[in-house]
Amino acid sequence: MSCAVEPDLRINLERSTLLLVDDNPQALNILGSIVQGFGVREQIKCESALEAVEVIKRQPVDLVLIDCAMPEMNGFDFVRWLRRDGPTHANCTPVIMLTGHAAQSSVQESRDSGASYIIVKPLTPMVLLQRIVWLSRDEREFVVSDKYVGPDRRVRNFGPPLGVAGRRRGDLSTHIGEASQGNMDQSEIDMMMKPMRVSL
Amino acid sequence: MSPPRTFRTTTPLADKMRRPGGRRVSSALAAAGAALATHRVEAMAQARKTLAQLESMTLCRDEDHARLVYERAAALVDLIGFFQTGPLFDVAYSLCEVSDRMRTSGVWHWPAVEVHLQALALILSDDCRRTTASDELLAGLRAVADRIPNLPRALS
Repeated sequence: MSCAVEPDLRINLERSTLLLVDDNPQALNILGSIVQGFGVREQIKCESALEAVEVIKRQPVDLVLIDCAMPEMNGFDFVRWLRRDGPTHANCTPVIMLTGHAAQSSVQESRDSGASYIIVKPLTPMVLLQRIVWLSRDEREFVVSDKYVGPDRRVRNFGPPLGVAGRRRGDLSTHIGEASQGNMDQSEIDMMMKPMRVSL
Repeated sequence: MSPPRTFRTTTPLADKMRRPGGRRVSSALAAAGAALATHRVEAMAQARKTLAQLESMTLCRDEDHARLVYERAAALVDLIGFFQTGPLFDVAYSLCEVSDRMRTSGVWHWPAVEVHLQALALILSDDCRRTTASDELLAGLRAVADRIPNLPRALS
């Protein structure tokens, strides 16, 4: 996954439907303007997470951008509902959470809620577009467990050590074990790396 | 307790973004930046209104208003966080940190709020420019924030 978005890369958001949720109408309009600049033609704006729940029940959306702090139902509760109790077609919908002031606990809460990404303001169009591009290339597995439903929170899939509970089939790390032979000397290594013709 | 289940999934977003057409990232960012700029004046006007609300709270100095300080400061950060406002964002964020810490610990110190509001007013009047003076203001506010956990458990 590349960290930067190449300026010449083409992105096509014309056919995507975005759901924008923020209880501050002014912030909602600003967010709408940004994604319109990205080329999004269909955006649905909701001023509460409860309203967004009704939208999700009615129609599929391709991406949700939601503010964390909202009265009644906050962004974290919305994502937990979406992942666990939302319509089946919507369970894996990517969600980007936006937050202004974020205590460390709220970042943790966002990860545990099942959000795809959390963006802490100040938010720039570059950062938002970068996350959307990352989502389009997202190769993380989706995890369904008793305590968590959402994209794999482990970015580097090394997993726990062998013999420790929680390892998955695709985890990369392996147990190397004790050496069974003595170290090779340099000439042996050189021969392996650069074999030479031998005349008999 | 059932074992965790993992699976790979392709989202409709990824499928649709792969289709031909669309626009270059550079064009998308330029269009988004231009659209964002049209909201700046309105947002700064709202920031001034929020600052006035916060200033009126410091006149009352009661517990009800103390609880509201964090909410208003967080609303301010939410709004100006869409724009490059440099020191203004930093001071508003610091006010969030300080008021959050004070409300959760039960320790409240109005002068810590007031000094943040004075800094916000100064920076707003200077069009949010980062200057030596604004850097000194921020350094002073950091010192204020560092003292918060050591305050006695009482409303000042």
